[in-house]
Formats: sequence, C-alpha cells, structure tokens
Amino acid sequence: MMDMPSFLFYIMTFVILAAASSVVLLRNPIHSALALAITMITLGFMYFGLEAYFIAGVQLIVYAGAVMVMFVMVLMLFDLKKEVGQVTKGTIGALMKVLCGMALSGIITWAIRYSSISTELKKPLQNPAEQMAGVKILAVQLFTKYVFAFELLGALLLIIAVGVVAVARSRGGTHARD
Amino acid sequence: MLLRRNVIVMLMSIEIMLNAVNLTFVAFAHYRGDISGNILVFFVMTVAAAEAGVGLALAVAIFKRFKDVNIKLFEQLKG
Repeated sequence: MMDMPSFLFYIMTFVILAAASSVVLLRNPIHSALALAITMITLGFMYFGLEAYFIAGVQLIVYAGAVMVMFVMVLMLFDLKKEVGQVTKGTIGALMKVLCGMALSGIITWAIRYSSISTELKKPLQNPAEQMAGVKILAVQLFTKYVFAFELLGALLLIIAVGVVAVARSRGGTHARD
Repeated sequence: MLLRRNVIVMLMSIEIMLNAVNLTFVAFAHYRGDISGNILVFFVMTVAAAEAGVGLALAVAIFKRFKDVNIKLFEQLKG
C-alpha cells in the first residue's frame, strides 16, 4: 500500500519495452506470442505497483490467462513453416516507419508535458481499510455512475459470443468432414 | 523489415496498443487520485478481449479458405 520504488519501475519498464518490441521484430509467430505473454504479465505487475489492484488481477486473469491462450491455440492450428520470416524488405519503407514511430512518441510526450494538468498532489486515502477496499470503490462507481455502459457491455459480450460461433463454425457440425 | 504480413501478429500488435491505452489510464488515475481511470480500463479490457476473440475467429475462417494467413492473399478484398 505504498508507492512503487523507482528501481522497480525502471526494471519493469525495460522488460515491457523489450518484450513489446520483440512481438513485432521476431520472425517466428510463436516467439511473438511468448513475448506478448511476457508483456501482459509485466504490465500486470506495473498495475499492481500503480495501486490498481483489481485491474492488475483482471489483467493477469483475462489477458495473460485467456487472450494469450486463445492466441496460442489459434497459432497451433496453422502451418507455420511457410510463415516464418514473411516480412517486407526495403530501406526507404523502414525509414518511413521508424520516423512515424518517433513522430508519434514525440507528439504524445509533447502533449503530456505541455498540457495543463494541475501539479497538486493527490489526496492520499485516509485509512488502510479504505485503501484495501479498492474493489468496493470501483464497484460503487461502476454500478451507479457507469451502469448504462456496464449493461451495454453485457449485451456486447453476448453478441460477440454468438458472432464468433457463427463465423468459425463448420458446415454440418462437429462431426462433418470439411 | 518492421512490417509483418501475418494476421495473427497484427492482432497481437492491436492488443499491445490497447494495453498501452490501459496503462495510460491507470497511470493518470494514480496521479490524480481519481478512480474513473480504472473504470474505463475495465471497459477497454473487456472490449479488447472480445475483439481479439472475433479477430481470431476471422483468422480461422481465413485459414480455412486460403490455407495461409498472409495478408497479401486477401488485401484486395476479393474472393
């Protein structure tokens, strides 16, 4: 329940950046999936250090536990020997892409640095019991102020479940030869 | 270099971008002491996971049709 020490922040940042760039730069998609799993788990640790305990738990369960398993399962269905190393070549294109990435980072840094965010310190939570109940505070806001979006999210998940089955099913059911 | 032709790696890159947005929201929520950042992260996580599911279902259907997941095969939106 205290602030994250700086050296932990720097270590986690380095791991996240290295893993996230490996997702794009590695040639084998299975290695990219492993790098993505490392990114998700370290992001969960970062959320824990940022005192968002419920979000850290959800990140580890949903992203590192469900989304990554889905990715690896779908990767197992494909024939990967043709896939390895299918990247585009060319120097001018690569230069343009690096420049665009640097421009985007510069714009984001400029927007954060020169915006008018007030620099007063946040009020620390009063007692440890209230800090522990981060889930309760989140739930109160979710069910009173954001309840419409919450219900819409439920409807969205239902529609997506139906849609995924409709897109990926085979004709004739599970025992058909396709 | 720096451009992948595999549909699955593109979906993974989308997940990275959504996680970056989540980290921004949580960081600013921590900075300002406001809980609304965490609420929006909740929503973004749900939508991102659901959209990853839909994208992977599409990738399975594409593989059944083209026997390959190189985007050069269907970037003309034909067939």
